[in-house]
Amino acid sequence: MIEFTNLNKWFGSLHVLKDIDLAVTKGEVVVVCGPSGSGKSTLIRCINGLEPFQKGRLVVDGFDLGSSSVRLRELRMEVGFVFQSFNLYPHKTALENVTLAPIHVRGLSKAEADDRGRALLEKVGLADRMQSYPHQLSGGQQQRVAIARSLCMQPKIMLFDEPTSALDPEMINEVLDVMVSLAREGMTMMVVTHEMGFARKVADRVIFMDRGAIVETADPESFFTNPQSERSRDFLSKVLHH
Amino acid sequence: MLGSLNTRVMLEYLPDIWQGFLSTLMLSTTGFAGALTLGIIACALSIQPVRWLRAPATVYIDAVRATPLLAQLYFLYFGLPRLGIVLPEILIGIIVLSLNSGAYVAEIIRSGILAISRGQVEAAISSGMTYLQRMRLIILPQALRPTISPLIGQAIVLVKDSSLLSLISVVELTRAGQMIAIDRFMPIEGLVATALAYLLLYYLLKLLAGIWSHQNRLPGRA
Ligand SMILES: Nc1ncnc2c1ncn2[C@@H]1O[C@H](COP(=O)(O)OP(=O)(O)OP(=O)(O)O)[C@@H](O)[C@H]1O
Ligand SMILES: [Mg+2]
Repeated sequence: MIEFTNLNKWFGSLHVLKDIDLAVTKGEVVVVCGPSGSGKSTLIRCINGLEPFQKGRLVVDGFDLGSSSVRLRELRMEVGFVFQSFNLYPHKTALENVTLAPIHVRGLSKAEADDRGRALLEKVGLADRMQSYPHQLSGGQQQRVAIARSLCMQPKIMLFDEPTSALDPEMINEVLDVMVSLAREGMTMMVVTHEMGFARKVADRVIFMDRGAIVETADPESFFTNPQSERSRDFLSKVLHH
Repeated sequence: MLGSLNTRVMLEYLPDIWQGFLSTLMLSTTGFAGALTLGIIACALSIQPVRWLRAPATVYIDAVRATPLLAQLYFLYFGLPRLGIVLPEILIGIIVLSLNSGAYVAEIIRSGILAISRGQVEAAISSGMTYLQRMRLIILPQALRPTISPLIGQAIVLVKDSSLLSLISVVELTRAGQMIAIDRFMPIEGLVATALAYLLLYYLLKLLAGIWSHQNRLPGRA
């Protein structure tokens, strides 16, 4: 479903992704963690073409992102992206946020999109907030709308970039619960997060990144209890103490 | 001094002032419509990534902002005939007002667009929208809302600037006021009459701005 082969990326002279090799299969849930600036966001932003790369290969759902003729828009319809800062459209209601792309990009009728959007907002626990504007919602509610917005395109892959790190602690779980149920339904997911509870519950693999490289790949249980590399031990001791 | 105003003369010239008022209104509306069109085009060119399309927009905006309106007016008034283009004064006037105001409109809209956060654009890109869909559905609705006040401010400037057209003998408010001064040697009566008419235009625009912002409040927000 997602296949990195020897991928390298530079920001100017800064080498931010180094020889990335990684294959994510259909239905797999992969958690990415690592210290700030290690390239986690850049890694998952490559997957929907938000960031270009200079060397190597990346194939997502059959789309070859290195090729100049890649149909990025078609790829993006199949890949949902959830941002740390939600990025809801402030001039649209929750329901409009969710149905906008299905109507204009997928070409659904308004009635179809509304049905689908209502069902998804209900599913993320926001049946009573459909007509609210983003500024009338709490952070946790906004992020759940953002997840519903991505899901309404019926994507094959969902990417999450630190979806809970802008949230107050008491709101983290309402978002993680939605993500857990999504994972259990078989969605292919890559999630940048330091939420160990989430990783333990649903991740098939944890990837640890440091300075642009994948340093360690393990199943969550062994990663958290018995990290192999010096740097991941160091990182975990810092995160766990927080 | 105001007590000694000759209101009889002012009333006598009321039809001329009214004509001037209508003429200024017409010059300003067409001029501003032209300015909006030019401004939107120049702004669109100046924010798109292709350099050779951006260059003409930048040159236009800079050239207008760096030179006085009066110079621009004379430049076209004397320059166009030299190129063999003979246009009625009133048309030259409208073109100059549009060109001049268009550059400022471009800058106002541009600053609105640049204020939209990168995250908005990325969310729209990630959902598969085209450039035009992003502009129409996400960026412009957010960018234009805060530009309405400065745009109306620009329209007010344009109304006042249109008085310069009296210099190329377009009959409008200022010119009409000058007639009272010239025919009757009563400059103050002419000036007061035109000032009142400009004030009326000003309040019309302010009223418009008020109505607009009232109708376009985000629900739930003051
Ligand atoms: N647009 C950019 N231009 C230049 N350098 C960038 C840009 N975006 C990121 N970088 C740099 O690339 C490196 C990797 O950044 P990235 O955002 O992928 O890290 P991260 O692991 O997501 O960090 P964090 O946990 O803080 O979000 C950092 O050194 C960062 O400063
Ligand atoms: Mg990041």
